Amino acid sequence: MSRAFFLSLLIFVLLLAGLTALRGALLALAIPLLLYLFYGLFFGPDKVQLEVHRTLSAERVSPQTPVLVTVSVVNRGDSLESLVLDDVLSPALSVENGSNHHLISLGKNKTFTFEYILRGPRGGYALDTVRVGASDHLGLLRNTQSIHTFGQLFVFPRVTRLKQIQIRPRRTRVYAGNIPARVGGSGVEFFGVRNYQQGDSPRAINWHISARHEELYSNEFQQERVADVGIILDGRQRSNIYAGGHSLFEHSVIAAAALADSFLAQGNRVGLLVYGQYLQWTWPGYGKLQREKILHSLSHAAPGSSQVFDGLQYLPTRMFPSESQIVLVSPLMDDDYLTLVRLRARGYQVMAVSPDPVAFEESFLPRQPEVRLAARVVRIERELMLKKIQRAGVQLIEWNVAQPFDQATRRAFGQRIQGSRL
Amino acid sequence: MTLFALLFSIVMGSGSLAWGFAQAGLPQFARWIILFGALWLFAVWQRWRWFAYVGLIFNFIVAALGLWLLNFSPGWMFAGAIGGLLAWDLTDFSYRLRFATDEERRGFETRHLVRISFLAILGFGLTSIAMIIKWQFNFDWALLLAIVASFGILQLIIWLRKRS
Repeated sequence: MSRAFFLSLLIFVLLLAGLTALRGALLALAIPLLLYLFYGLFFGPDKVQLEVHRTLSAERVSPQTPVLVTVSVVNRGDSLESLVLDDVLSPALSVENGSNHHLISLGKNKTFTFEYILRGPRGGYALDTVRVGASDHLGLLRNTQSIHTFGQLFVFPRVTRLKQIQIRPRRTRVYAGNIPARVGGSGVEFFGVRNYQQGDSPRAINWHISARHEELYSNEFQQERVADVGIILDGRQRSNIYAGGHSLFEHSVIAAAALADSFLAQGNRVGLLVYGQYLQWTWPGYGKLQREKILHSLSHAAPGSSQVFDGLQYLPTRMFPSESQIVLVSPLMDDDYLTLVRLRARGYQVMAVSPDPVAFEESFLPRQPEVRLAARVVRIERELMLKKIQRAGVQLIEWNVAQPFDQATRRAFGQRIQGSRL
Repeated sequence: MTLFALLFSIVMGSGSLAWGFAQAGLPQFARWIILFGALWLFAVWQRWRWFAYVGLIFNFIVAALGLWLLNFSPGWMFAGAIGGLLAWDLTDFSYRLRFATDEERRGFETRHLVRISFLAILGFGLTSIAMIIKWQFNFDWALLLAIVASFGILQLIIWLRKRS
């Protein structure tokens, strides 16, 4: 009920009571209310005509990076005595400095500009609404509007740069790249020897073998090409545990981002599948544009539960070219073993990157003998499972999330890693 | 500043009504009014904004009761009613102030308190004048008032519909 209506009702009741009882005092009692009401209505806002512009200091940032938001409001209508401005934000974002809401008086054709600094966790946020509420001096009549403006903020996961991840899928694409293609031709690594053919460079002739035979032989080198890489991010609620207010899924996202960046930097065609509440598929592609698409997808990725996608058995393998490289980023559950074996049986080269859930959870638990014992038992079970997976021919990177991801890959591949960047 | 004014309004409203009733020899009733005032203060502490509506209705009902049935001294009753009105207004105002930054708050508070004080004084003055100037309230006056009130309400409704 509006305040003006409530007040009018009270006045009406008093007047009615006064007239019914023929009591002037009751009518007199209505005078302060009448004064209040008429004063409010007289200065009530007419039409609200505002123009709102918003600018952000950056639209693509890494988590918890401060972003300066500047909002300017121009009043194209009559003067507004009491104007509430509320720049609507997602609850996940926090205002660090300044305020996203203001109570001001704004004259005709005047401009009010305010700034604030916000920061937030990984995600995609629409900053497209400014709620304005104009009212009279006493707040009796309110004219509330939502003004739509342009604004969006993408908080991408932090991307750790990995120099090179060695993969060897059975099938490669036609373009030149870094991955040994199991096909002879021009390259760096020695592949084999064949009969000399017209046009072969004299430097390619293998003189040792040619001397033993009566004809010439040429060295062949292994061609290096780009490959198809499908990254599967496990977003199932049951495999991504929460501990101490943190989610293991965030670490999986960091790993997926770093891997996608690395594979794309090598020139490969990379696709991303987030397997959780539903399937979120980023079609494979090359280059910086694809990197951007994957980061966008990762910024929105969230763990979820679904009866259909509870296990990995419904992985849509048709989305990945046959005999290509599949990288599964998952803490891994016991029943995932069979799926990985099936993938291998279909000819895919499989790599599993597994953030360690035991170490993650243990780090948030009190250091008691019971906890240590329980962790030890669970760790033994997990190690057995990982060994089985490795025996099935799956390349495994186990990652204790207390350490940076590049260290885990360095251990696995013995490579030098560069620093990190967004 | 607003909080102080709000608390003062509640104390003034409930206190005036209670004093009026106590003066007229109804201390039991005065105690209930004071209890209600204390409850209103508690509601302010608990941020029950809806209670301001209850408070306003209560203050006006008690004032009307005193003026109509018990024929009390009108001064205390009017003061009680105006105190209730001020408290109701300031409850909403303090809620609106949550959007203001510290700098904006000071200016708004000062302006609003000046306006509301002016309105309270004017309301009290006009009410007192209305009580001093006494005419015989006969049927002609009643009819005139009814017509004016109906016309006013009709205008108000038209105006409100136009705005929405």
